[in-house]
Amino acid sequence: MARVVGDLKMSRSADEDRILRVWTPMLLRTILIVATAILILGLGLAIRSPDAYVTRYRSIEAGHFHPPETLRQEFSASMRGNPHSVMTVGLLVLTLVPLGRVAFCFLFFLKERDYAYVGFTAYVLIGLLVGIMLGNIG
Amino acid sequence: MLHILIGLFALAIGAGFIGAMSGLGGGVFIVPALVVLAHMPMKVAVGASLISVVATSAGASVAFVRDGWTNLKIAMVLECATVTGAVTGAYLAGVIPTTVLELLFALMMIQSAYFSLRKKQDDVIEDGSPLAKRLELTGDVPHQTGKLVHYEIVNLPGGGAVMVIAGLMSGLLGIGSGALKVMAMDFIMHIPLKVSSATSNFMIGVTAGAGALVFLARGDVPTTIATPVALGVTAGALAGSRMLPHANEQALRMVFVVILVLIATEMGWRALSGI
Repeated sequence: MARVVGDLKMSRSADEDRILRVWTPMLLRTILIVATAILILGLGLAIRSPDAYVTRYRSIEAGHFHPPETLRQEFSASMRGNPHSVMTVGLLVLTLVPLGRVAFCFLFFLKERDYAYVGFTAYVLIGLLVGIMLGNIG
Repeated sequence: MLHILIGLFALAIGAGFIGAMSGLGGGVFIVPALVVLAHMPMKVAVGASLISVVATSAGASVAFVRDGWTNLKIAMVLECATVTGAVTGAYLAGVIPTTVLELLFALMMIQSAYFSLRKKQDDVIEDGSPLAKRLELTGDVPHQTGKLVHYEIVNLPGGGAVMVIAGLMSGLLGIGSGALKVMAMDFIMHIPLKVSSATSNFMIGVTAGAGALVFLARGDVPTTIATPVALGVTAGALAGSRMLPHANEQALRMVFVVILVLIATEMGWRALSGI
């Protein structure tokens, strides 16, 4: 009986691993392609006015920062073709890649009823949210 | 404009390539390169570095996960430890003198460089600890002969403890702590080096992603710098992840040792000079 349970457990583990090895890279690649496309579009728009890019670069070099816009302002400016807002949206999508991956694994293990790993991934998600709220996690 | 973009791209491609091969994420190279070579303020360099770690992690993980180099379950279990350390570090930031931590970090890097030099090859464990078995933390890794070699792991609590310290460093110093993660998996848990590098790559994206979100919200990630860096690092990481399976284990270990010594020197210098 113990052997059968052990074999079933091993088989479930192998299945989980196989599914994750297919879906995780697919998820990573999809978000990465979307983020890269947005970043290239933003950079392409910036190249159309090189002087503005160089001025901005020099001002950052001198330690002058542009105050952050709200997410809504960035999205609406990106829709109007503002190169820096388009790039900000691209960077935002890029930073969501690992968090999206943990959320995906959490949902996957929940569906598979593998509660040990549901616990591990939930713990990581909660920890990250606490970290973001503390505002100093790196 | 073109010379600025070419310079940033070249710098980022190199950082992404080495970051993916070593499992360190590329951030350790981007920060000094942006500060010293591009004369960028430290805050900008750290923000761009966090973005670059996320890009390296995601770019390299696509191939590493698909080809079986990353051990997903080990990553998920150990991420609990790194996230605990990172949140604690974030909370304690400002309480513990950074100088002390930087010195400790430098000493730890020197020690792991010493152990790396002494260790000639991977000693694959075929019978892991009961806890690791219960959590199904095993795997198969392609060997140079073409055969798959089964490995198991030992000392999960010991590895987890070092991962908490790695997370603590991340939270306090804003770094990926990839070197410490690879060291914990390679030396303490006896995970093969290439699997350790690939799994570390996968893990560091999580804490760096959270940090990058904070930096983005604060407006500390100038798109002018971060965009070419992110694109270059992604390209470098993709190339690095394709090279890792063909890399010579001994050469990889030597590169890792050189990087550890460089990081230790940089950290020690920063601590002692009060920067």
